[in-house]
Amino acid sequence: MTPILRARDLTMRYPSGSSPALDAVDLDILPGESVAIMGASGSGKTTLLHCLAGIVRPTSGTVTFASGTGPVQVESLDDAGRARLRREELGFVFQQGLLLNELTALEDVAVARMLAGVPRAQAEAEAGQWLAHLGLAGMEQRRLGELSGGQAQRVAIARAQVGGARLIFADEPTGALDSATSVEVLDLLLDAVRQGRTLVVVTHDADVAARCARTVVLRDGRVVSDWAPAAASAGVSR
Amino acid sequence: MSGLTTALRLAPLFARRRDGDRLTVALPLASFMVVTALVELVVGGAQAFFRWDDDLGGTYQLLAVVALVLLLVPLATVGASAARLAARRRDERLASLRLLGATTGTVTALTVLEAAATAFVGAVLGTALYGATAPLLGLLHFRGAALGSQVWLPWLWLPVVVLGVTLLAAASAVAGLRAVVVTPLGVRTRQRAGRAHWVRAVVALVVLAVGSLLVQSLGMLGSAGGVVAIVVVLAVAFGGALLALDAVGPWVVRLRARRAHRRATTVPALLAARMILEDPKAAWRQVSGVAMTSFVGVFGAVGLAFARVTDTSTLSGDERWLMQDISTGVLVTVAGSFLMVACSVGINQAATTLDRAAVHVSLDRLGVPRAVMADASRRSVMSALWIVAGGSALCAVLLLLPLVGMAVFLQPVAVVTAAAVFAVGFLAVRGAAALSARLVPGILASPERVL
Repeated sequence: MTPILRARDLTMRYPSGSSPALDAVDLDILPGESVAIMGASGSGKTTLLHCLAGIVRPTSGTVTFASGTGPVQVESLDDAGRARLRREELGFVFQQGLLLNELTALEDVAVARMLAGVPRAQAEAEAGQWLAHLGLAGMEQRRLGELSGGQAQRVAIARAQVGGARLIFADEPTGALDSATSVEVLDLLLDAVRQGRTLVVVTHDADVAARCARTVVLRDGRVVSDWAPAAASAGVSR
Repeated sequence: MSGLTTALRLAPLFARRRDGDRLTVALPLASFMVVTALVELVVGGAQAFFRWDDDLGGTYQLLAVVALVLLLVPLATVGASAARLAARRRDERLASLRLLGATTGTVTALTVLEAAATAFVGAVLGTALYGATAPLLGLLHFRGAALGSQVWLPWLWLPVVVLGVTLLAAASAVAGLRAVVVTPLGVRTRQRAGRAHWVRAVVALVVLAVGSLLVQSLGMLGSAGGVVAIVVVLAVAFGGALLALDAVGPWVVRLRARRAHRRATTVPALLAARMILEDPKAAWRQVSGVAMTSFVGVFGAVGLAFARVTDTSTLSGDERWLMQDISTGVLVTVAGSFLMVACSVGINQAATTLDRAAVHVSLDRLGVPRAVMADASRRSVMSALWIVAGGSALCAVLLLLPLVGMAVFLQPVAVVTAAAVFAVGFLAVRGAAALSARLVPGILASPERVL
């Protein structure tokens, strides 16, 4: 099976750091996988996510994304090209939900579609369907301050999926939530995987990693473990 | 150990360690510099007329006071923006201090000291800027000659202005702290942004009605109370009109923003409308300085047109100059108030961009084009400006409708000149609003500092 994302010899050095944040990382992510990236603080897991998602450009190495129209060399795109890739092909869920204070839940999700050129009425209709699907029916007109942490994350999950992204990146999506809400949010993310999307989640939480099909562990910018207990039964080889 | 003593010991440490965020220091400093220079230019320009003691000198002085009053409102807006910016930029460090066990007294004293020190340095730099720009002001011609060295303030006034700006910044910092709660876990505001209510419109109408009655009774009051009564009535009517505008402005801004929100078809339009609806008073306050100036500007333009077609053969040379100088004064005042609003907008937008640095980083990560947020910010400012300047000017045009029509017909050059000043003013404000977008690449280059 062709990986949806392939990283080769990925290295990242920050000007302020003496050692590389990422050191020659190779990683293949297959379509439909749920991959947890774990590691201690400073191990390079968020940097890896940023490189894979085109948020930052690696110092060296390659990242190949299998888009709907063919392979894309992420590291060779300019800022605008990488922004377009993130906007049109990828979905993101971050720890704080990252919503604009002024917007309602409905608008926050609809904006993602409007940026893709969808008329506002249609964008809001699609956004409303996703919010309802994720259990937020009746809360469409609430704003950030009027939503709980779990509800804000549901809005973020709706926004990540409303444009049809095949690959979703989540950075500590349950980091600010209580245990019960964390389970609910992870359920929704894994639902997206069951619907055919691919999930890459950076987490400190072993419980979150345990529910993903595969766990990649980083230490000092290197992959020290790549473990997929379900790989054999799912026919996935490493 | 008292809070003040602790603050005095901490202040040098805080002054030295800025976490590499030069903008945190540079922006308030530049703001106070601009404010001080503007104060000195405006007062310097006005006091130039008080050196004339001939028959028409009194008329020029009265008009200078009117222009000064018109410029005070936008000037106060710039000053308030600078003070708010200086207070807002230190929020995080205040919270850290509380976490380390500092008392409220220490935090207050440190804030006031820091604001005052920033304002003092900014004011000194502003005085230097005044020195560099006053000769340009001196090029303005009144009574057929350039103002020249008359625009220089007596040197004793300069330290008074510097001290005044410093004290106002300190007072504003104290007021700013009263609006927030500094806890060890962060800084939060005590209250939500004020909502603009329709009751304001009713209050404004009542004020305007009373003002109108007073002006209509001017003749009667003048014959009863003399010149003093006329000046008092005009001042009350003028002040009342300003208060009425201030009362009704945020409400109108909110109504327009709600309409714009319903009709928004693009992301920048939607965001701009939501930004205004979040705090209509703030949106109004930012540009309100041009309200009365725009109103007076239309009167001035019409007056200028009629002055040019009036038979001046019966007037003395000085009176002919007065007719021309009034139009120059109106144009300079309108241009000055737009300049100040542009400064205020630039400061406010820069502060907002820095405050929302985390949002900019987040939006960038989601792939939102950088131009979208910049466009939304610019739209939120310009739509409020259109309401303020355009609305005020339209009110004046409606009041003078037949005369405006005649002015356009009789002396189009005068009307076009006034319109050009308005257009350049709008462009200046738009440019100031767009400047803040230049801060975004710097924020995105070091996202770890804001997340």
